[in-house]
Amino acid sequence: MSRPAPPPIYTLRGAGGPLNTLHFSCHEEGTPLLFSGSGQGAIHIWNLNSRRAAKIIEGHSGSSIICVSTLQSTDTLISQGRDMQVCLWDLSEGRSELLDSVWTGSVGFCQCSVLEMSPSKYLLAFAGQQTEEIKITELPSKTPVCSLVPEGKLGMVMCMKLWQPDSGLGPLLLAGYEDGSLLLWDVTQRSTLSQVKAHPEPVMCLTFDTKRLRGVSGSSEKKLSSWTLDGQNNLQLQDSVMLVNPGVSQLCIRDDGKLLASAGWDHRVRVFGWKKLRPLAVLQYHTDLVLSVAFSDHQDPRKRLLAAGSKDQRISLWSIYNEGADTG
Amino acid sequence: MEHPSTNAEVRLTVSQCFRTLTSSPDSKDIVRTLQTLHSYLDGGPESTTTAAQQAEFRRAHYSRTLQLLVSNIQADWLHSFTAAERTQLWDGLFLKGPPDQALLVLLEAIGELRPSSNLDHMVSITEKFLQSHRLAELLWSYCLQAAPSDSPQLRETLLGRISALPDLTANKLRLNNRPVFLPQQYYPLLATEMLTALERTCQALRDGTDCSLTFVAQVIGKVCIQGHSGLVLAVMAPRLSVCTRSDMVWQRVCWKLMENVPQRWMESVLTGLVQAVRGPDALGRIIGNLVLTNKNVQFVITHKLLLLQYKYESQVLRVVLGYLAADRDRRPLLIQVLRSVCQAWANPSAVKHTPLEQQLYVSKALLLSVSLLKDSELQELRSELLQCMLGGMQSHLDSSVVRIRHMGMVVGECLSSRMDINGTKLKFEYEQDEETRELLSLMTPVTCDEPEPEPEPVNGVDSLQETSETIPSTQNASSQSKPAPQPSKADPDSDLDSDDELTPYDMSGDQETSQASPPRYLRDCLEILKSSEDSVRVELSLRAAESLVRRNAFTAREISVQMSKVLLHMEDKYNIIGFLSLRQATMVALTVTDCIPVTQYLTTEFYSLNYSLRQRLDILEVLVVAAQELSKPITEKTTPSIGPATTSELTPYPGDNPVHWQQVVEKRIQSKTKRLSKGATKPVAMATPNRYAPVAGHFFFPLLRNYDKPQVTFDLLGSDHLVLGRLIHTLGLFVHLAVNAPIAAQMGRALLDFVWAVRYHVDQMVRRGVLFAVCSVFLSMPSQNLLVDLSDQLFETRAWLADVAEGDPDADCRNLAVQSLVLLDKSLKKQLQDPQTLSLES
Repeated sequence: MSRPAPPPIYTLRGAGGPLNTLHFSCHEEGTPLLFSGSGQGAIHIWNLNSRRAAKIIEGHSGSSIICVSTLQSTDTLISQGRDMQVCLWDLSEGRSELLDSVWTGSVGFCQCSVLEMSPSKYLLAFAGQQTEEIKITELPSKTPVCSLVPEGKLGMVMCMKLWQPDSGLGPLLLAGYEDGSLLLWDVTQRSTLSQVKAHPEPVMCLTFDTKRLRGVSGSSEKKLSSWTLDGQNNLQLQDSVMLVNPGVSQLCIRDDGKLLASAGWDHRVRVFGWKKLRPLAVLQYHTDLVLSVAFSDHQDPRKRLLAAGSKDQRISLWSIYNEGADTG
Repeated sequence: MEHPSTNAEVRLTVSQCFRTLTSSPDSKDIVRTLQTLHSYLDGGPESTTTAAQQAEFRRAHYSRTLQLLVSNIQADWLHSFTAAERTQLWDGLFLKGPPDQALLVLLEAIGELRPSSNLDHMVSITEKFLQSHRLAELLWSYCLQAAPSDSPQLRETLLGRISALPDLTANKLRLNNRPVFLPQQYYPLLATEMLTALERTCQALRDGTDCSLTFVAQVIGKVCIQGHSGLVLAVMAPRLSVCTRSDMVWQRVCWKLMENVPQRWMESVLTGLVQAVRGPDALGRIIGNLVLTNKNVQFVITHKLLLLQYKYESQVLRVVLGYLAADRDRRPLLIQVLRSVCQAWANPSAVKHTPLEQQLYVSKALLLSVSLLKDSELQELRSELLQCMLGGMQSHLDSSVVRIRHMGMVVGECLSSRMDINGTKLKFEYEQDEETRELLSLMTPVTCDEPEPEPEPVNGVDSLQETSETIPSTQNASSQSKPAPQPSKADPDSDLDSDDELTPYDMSGDQETSQASPPRYLRDCLEILKSSEDSVRVELSLRAAESLVRRNAFTAREISVQMSKVLLHMEDKYNIIGFLSLRQATMVALTVTDCIPVTQYLTTEFYSLNYSLRQRLDILEVLVVAAQELSKPITEKTTPSIGPATTSELTPYPGDNPVHWQQVVEKRIQSKTKRLSKGATKPVAMATPNRYAPVAGHFFFPLLRNYDKPQVTFDLLGSDHLVLGRLIHTLGLFVHLAVNAPIAAQMGRALLDFVWAVRYHVDQMVRRGVLFAVCSVFLSMPSQNLLVDLSDQLFETRAWLADVAEGDPDADCRNLAVQSLVLLDKSLKKQLQDPQTLSLES
């Protein structure tokens, strides 16, 4: 008999709404922080030492927050709400000032994606006003870089990931669409490099391991599809993993490339080995849909955490597979 | 020997020799005399004596000569001989003459001499006698004598000596016995000597000489009746089977040999033989049609081996029945056997009263003989077989022993498929185990009874070597081919194993979530169980029921009887996984929570109308498990947390856990206490009240009521003995769990009274239950009460137990009876040795 799955090490309550998005910021000296975005439009900044909300930012006029992220270089917070705004916040020295905001024009749920090109320049990709449109803007100058619209009818953009490949090409963008297609865009050429039909249903989430050039996407069905990028930048479907219950809201790969976590609609967080997609654990705590998962970016691998945010207004934090991390 | 003059001459010479041997001091005289005696035994052209003289000497004087030598074994001249002289002159006389006389003298001498060097000398001569194959000589000499010339007494003695030589020597020599005299060596030696004699007989018959096999047959018979048939026939049977394969003379010799075995020893020879031969053909060649001519053999083969004894392997059955089937003349016997086996199998009384092993044996015999029948014979026997099958299956399926039921099913299936009744076949559902598989395998005839013609010994060794060579080579091949693909498989991605360092957690809880949510209130749960038609909701309610009952003790007490009623009548309409155990667990929880009303309800329902046997058995099971739970001390249960949210919403009632504050206080006291010396801290067993003791009567006594009032649908003392057995077993458990409770004595007495009426029940399950109950009474009643309260019954009980321990056909019953006797004796002894109680009684 294998050991029972661990309980969460602690939980954070009081967000007052469903937790659509989570983001850790633990890599620097100082207090480890967890950012969460709620359905009530509040961004909570949780202090993971005191395990309380250190600050609450209400900046999207009560609309649901769908994405929060921070920039590595500066104390800048990026948040996206359903009020069609992406806001940038200055958090330095305890401030929480609105620096700038970008109007997206998208009414969907697609989370934006940020790519830092240099300390003072970064690209922001977000869904645009037209149904299939993806816009990329350079910040902080707010110069539009391009607008990517696929040729066929693919439906809304559901999720995307922007990254800079090692091969020296310009930034690439992976996007999942409403009809279940995955598209790989070359941002500089503004052209589609590859297209693959990963799911029969809308792609709900995707995540991509830039080191191994391998990614995984989830949908509203009972399966996760994994795919790779070959040398010619072609997407190729690989084996898929069956789930017990359908529906995945978010996927996240741990920094060391060993674990994949999925936020399930069945109230459970599943943990897989990333290399073979072997199911490792099913974490049961939440009583409603799990909407978001995130792995922390602690420097010390033993402190690494897994956070899951749910519609039941709680965040659970788990410590899993941290034991032998320092050796491997 | 017709010449009186020759006889007189020989007698004169021999008596002269005797005189010299007894009185002469001159060793040269002695040597000459011994040489004279030798000359009578040495045949050959240069012999100084005539053949007539030799024959006369052998006939009349040889034994006397040897006896004289033995009686003078202390003489000085013998000890002055060199070893070579002694061997040649003295020992030689024993090894050359007629072997029967020599053997008798030798064994007589061994029997009379005290342990000394002389005895050792005689023993070593006997050893040499055996080693130089004088026994074959002896047997052969008796084969040649067509008519016995010696007295029957002598023959009888010789026979006894030959067959019992290991016993004689072992009795005399004790620890100094020689290996060659041990049964393991002697009897195989005797067997080879007999084979040699038979071989010579065959040769002689071919040459036209008459021979008699009476003596050899007697030896075989005598040896077998003394219990050495295994050793002897293990050597003889294979050889005979090989020799008779092609040689008609050998066959004649074998048949004659078997015919000549005396009637009183025939059975042991036969039983030994059927166990020693490889297959029915070999048996047929060796004993021929003896079964037709010899009544004794017929009885043994057709009756005793099949119906009276049941210790043999199924191979023996195959041999016997195959033997009967192999010959046209013998086939009527097979049919006769089939009829009697059929009757034995179908006999309902036999099913009840004979040991299980015997029934298995008879079933095997039945299946084997049916499989040997030809289709035409089958047609003839059809109606009888059908009748047998139907009646026998009924009585087998009625039995409460699972193995007997299985036996009935398998035999029924096999018979019906063999008889092919309008193309329909019986088919039962039973679990395949070793026994049923073996029974089934009997129906497929072993086509190659003797897979390859039993090879000559030399060939056998060859083929053995061949097979032993081929086996490793195939193994090598497979072992070489196997590991090869593995590394190549591992090659493509070398980081394959990197996931494996992460051991998966238990994911058994990862079930499909259902849309409906389980009920949160006990009353909802009850409502759903009672009236809902939605399978999902019913299943969820059933799964949640036990924990709801346990958590909400107060509510549970209000609706316990109602809920028990619903659960008792609930059917598994939706094929819920684990339905029975879930239902049982909930009912147990109800009984434990609200003991008295629920037990009252259940015990009343047990005897009421319109319940199925299954429901009545369920009632008993629930009561037993509940009693077990109650009698266990309360332990702190760690409830498996399915999810904190679900548990937290139903906060446990405060005060549900009375141990808690005590622990807190205890901890505080511990922390404030200073200990000067700390011994091994052992957890002190917490004394907790036995929850079962005060309510034991509620479980027990209502079930004792009404048992003898048969209902229309339920007749406990009649046909429903399955329930009776379980009831008694359950009552026994109640008594056992009530050990140390004050009420145990009363319960024990009532139980003993109750089981007294059914102690000789026909069903062994009931008898087992009774014995178990008696055991538990003896275990749990205080020994004082046992003697005081039950003194009048104890003697009868003891007598009954002793009777069962000796004579019950069921092995479990016998064991249980012995165990009860031991317990009773222990308890009584303890009581009688205790002076305090004795004084009390007086």
